[in-house]
Amino acid sequence: MKRRYGVVVALCAATALLTMTACGSSGKGSSASGTTTLKIVAADYGTGPSNTSQIYWQGIADAFHQANPSITVQVQTINWNDFDNQIQTMVQNKQYPDITEGDYFANYAQEGLLYPVSDVFSNPSNLLGVFKTLGSYNNVQYGMPFTTSSRTLFYNKKLFTAAGITSAPQTWADVQADAAAIKAKGNIGFGLPLGPEEAQAESLLWMLGNGGNYTDSSGHFTINSSQNIETFQFLKQLVASGDTEPNPGTKNRTDLWKQFAQGQIGMINGSPALIPIIQAGKVLSDSDWASVPIPGKTGPLATTLGVCDFTAAFKNGNTSKQAAIKKFLDFAYSDTYQLQFDKEYDLLPATNSATQQLSSDPVFGPFLKALPQAVQYPSSTAWAATKTQIQQTIGTAITGDPSKVLGAIQQTATKG
Amino acid sequence: MTVVADPPAQAPVAVTPARAERRTLSAKRLWLAVAGYVVALIFILPYAEMVISALRPPNELLGRNYLPKHFDWSNFTTLWSTGFGANLGASLQIAGGSTALVLLVALPAGYYTARHRFRGRAFFLLLVLATQMFQPAALLVGIQREFTRFALPSPLLSLILVNAGFNMAFAVWILNAYFSSIPHELEQAAMVDGTTRLGAVGRITLPLAMPGIVTAIIFTFISAWNELLVGLTLTGGAPNSDVPLTVAINNYIGQYSIDWGHLFAGSVIATIPVIVLFAFIEGRVVGGLTAGSIK
Amino acid sequence: MTQQLVSTVRPRRKTRRRFQEALTPILWIGPALGLIAVIVLWPVVVLFQTSFQHISPDGFVLGSAGGKNFSNLFDEPDLNGVLIRTVIWVGAVVIVTMAISMLLAQVFNARWPGRRVARWALIAPWAASVTMTALVFRWALDANNGVINVFLHQIGLIKSFNSNAADWLGRPSYAFAWMIAVAVFVSLPFTTYALLAGLQSIPGDIYEAARVDGATPWQMYRRITLPLLRPAFLVAALINIINVFNSFPIIWEMTRGGPGHETSTTTTFLFQLKQSFIGESAAMSVINFALIVVVVLAFLRASRWREQVS
Repeated sequence: MKRRYGVVVALCAATALLTMTACGSSGKGSSASGTTTLKIVAADYGTGPSNTSQIYWQGIADAFHQANPSITVQVQTINWNDFDNQIQTMVQNKQYPDITEGDYFANYAQEGLLYPVSDVFSNPSNLLGVFKTLGSYNNVQYGMPFTTSSRTLFYNKKLFTAAGITSAPQTWADVQADAAAIKAKGNIGFGLPLGPEEAQAESLLWMLGNGGNYTDSSGHFTINSSQNIETFQFLKQLVASGDTEPNPGTKNRTDLWKQFAQGQIGMINGSPALIPIIQAGKVLSDSDWASVPIPGKTGPLATTLGVCDFTAAFKNGNTSKQAAIKKFLDFAYSDTYQLQFDKEYDLLPATNSATQQLSSDPVFGPFLKALPQAVQYPSSTAWAATKTQIQQTIGTAITGDPSKVLGAIQQTATKG
Repeated sequence: MTVVADPPAQAPVAVTPARAERRTLSAKRLWLAVAGYVVALIFILPYAEMVISALRPPNELLGRNYLPKHFDWSNFTTLWSTGFGANLGASLQIAGGSTALVLLVALPAGYYTARHRFRGRAFFLLLVLATQMFQPAALLVGIQREFTRFALPSPLLSLILVNAGFNMAFAVWILNAYFSSIPHELEQAAMVDGTTRLGAVGRITLPLAMPGIVTAIIFTFISAWNELLVGLTLTGGAPNSDVPLTVAINNYIGQYSIDWGHLFAGSVIATIPVIVLFAFIEGRVVGGLTAGSIK
Repeated sequence: MTQQLVSTVRPRRKTRRRFQEALTPILWIGPALGLIAVIVLWPVVVLFQTSFQHISPDGFVLGSAGGKNFSNLFDEPDLNGVLIRTVIWVGAVVIVTMAISMLLAQVFNARWPGRRVARWALIAPWAASVTMTALVFRWALDANNGVINVFLHQIGLIKSFNSNAADWLGRPSYAFAWMIAVAVFVSLPFTTYALLAGLQSIPGDIYEAARVDGATPWQMYRRITLPLLRPAFLVAALINIINVFNSFPIIWEMTRGGPGHETSTTTTFLFQLKQSFIGESAAMSVINFALIVVVVLAFLRASRWREQVS
């Protein structure tokens, strides 16, 4: 009995020793021998361990290290659900990564945390010009577009046929009618993700359908405009009729996309990234689904939401790192790697050269054509806090009072 | 406690009621046993579900049945390629380190407070009691900003300190209670026989206080092992080898639209060290709690 | 002559001894005191400081905010709901846990075959971590294929999967009810063991004596068990109140406090705020802190703690 306890105490002592040695050896950044270590934190676009973005970036990091032995690149990937929160926490903890790939916030530029693109990239003019403003602050570009995508409406042809629907929906009324017909057959009519993961995207797609947006043409926030309130009243009624999945405010795009791939949902807004998920589900064949422009109130949308993910470089107080970052970004943005990423995840490139190579592609070509006219998220520094609130609360506009909920978000956006 | 002894004259009368008691006792025992087993089953069920779900093959993951048709061990094997081993190492370091630190600091404090009446003793004990009220969740913003200022080289160190600090109060309390219950005379007797103070403590007091020490170890280890919130806050951006299991498992949510298979496989594996620790102390925890709760 | 000598020697020895006397406790309890002060107490100070600062979402201090963080917090439309829910959360979980634990402790205190093995099962929620338990329940309540819905569907209480009725965690009040159940589930092990320890410390002779005097089991329970169990009961209740108040993983993993903040308590609410509104989050933490102190003090007073402990 006594010996047993002795073992337990000894175990703890051993672990303590282990910790001391671990803490002695772990440390960050460059060591004296002249090697530089860069840390890149990227968002994960994968659908499983086999195609996690960690593999993509690690491949680039290894190839880069071979070409530049004095620079090592550490790769970390974070899932989209937690990406904003984690980066925010890192910044709050003053543990800045060197490079991030994912969401870009003008606040970081405002607080002087970022390198201007011209300092860390040799050929900024090769980056898609349409997203330059979104990645700029005070007319200086800090965010480099890395990958882009545009949204369309995906619908399940099999469910449509079974419900007796002959054509794809073009207006909101069509959507409601079709969803009701599919619901009558026991499936979910329209998949509406207003949960915290990407509520801001889904909301915008519906707002555009009624001629509304987060901001007006001069950049002022118009979140609680009468058109937007009307939009949410329509959605409220759509949900109340049972034409969507229950309780959309708690459902995320990731959950619903998976259900669409299982053939349980009739219509859902998606991007090319939904395609591999459908294929992995092995329930729908390529002829069982199709994608069309997103329906607006009176007709299909002429513009869609162009989403762009950015790379940004953090100043780490170490100028030798700046040169290393520049080398790495030049290396990573080569056409080969851009196209590899896009083929892997069914997304669109962010450089002019890569776009040209892809323009004749049958699948991607049409999406690429729509990009220059795409609508984007606001580039204001108030967007970060506003986006958080949208993600957390806009689902309640469906169950509560849309004008109140949208009004509260507008307040956050305008109080700066 | 006075013991009432049955006068021998009553013995023959006592026999009959006792025999009747024994008969009803069996029926009562049976019902109690059934109740006990049902309760035990209810407590095990969620974890059985966890193990079953971890063993579901990917195409049967969303099946609407209690058991899948086939059992697939691949979640347990592919888990390690997602860096799980590093997280296991991190959790071991954090839990082990905090437990060691707590023992190192709480043992002398508990012993001294139990043996001596010094100025400020009451204040110290009151402080210890009061701080048990405060848990990391309530002080999160303060902890985050404080450790940002400290800028320790590794989040492992920060987590060890935080976990040790918040478990300190309980450990001191329990150790104080245990050491108080061991009569001072035992040590003094040993010292009269020629051993030093330290020797007396080591050979007599510590073994007698072992249940309390073990209780403190168990509570601290489990508390640090399962801690999520501070880990989530302080490991932002850290390399995988510095991220404990709880945070890594939390990351499986949302990634790959919730990787339930790996999530549960990871959870099952994460439970093993705790079970191993429990096996060491079998039954002593009840004893440890007795001293703490009454004193 | 001797008197003069003594009076000069005595003060020096006295001060040295007094110095030693004062130093020794510091050596023994100093580290513990230091660790508690730095890890537990200092964040409280930082918390109060931060609640009066104007902080950017990235953690940069942009000056003083005066009372603005607090006024913003009180303007939050969801705050009332959060506070009320917190009270319900703590009240429901603690009361139900204590009640069920009293029963369980009695069951596990009696002697029946296989008792030891069954007691081990009781430890399961404690060993497996609250986070994992919360995740299993979230999985089991899934509207599409959760095992609880499978069972309810089998016995006919749920008509179809993916319906509103099957979406337990999507509907705030039902989600909250389930989370309370999970909280009770994870609190039972510790509480039952604490009460069990209390029961086992009651000497059997008392019951023997009472039985001889002709007391019924119910009388014995009321007059012997309950009063003697009271210290253990109060300690367990207090620890439960503190733990449940600070509970985070259950709500976070099951609903993330959503939709919006409709299933949030003060603890998850301050975490939600922390993402972009750090000053306001600190203000919420200060209110939360005050709440805990008030609740604990009220409990101590109501249970006449001093009498019990001394």
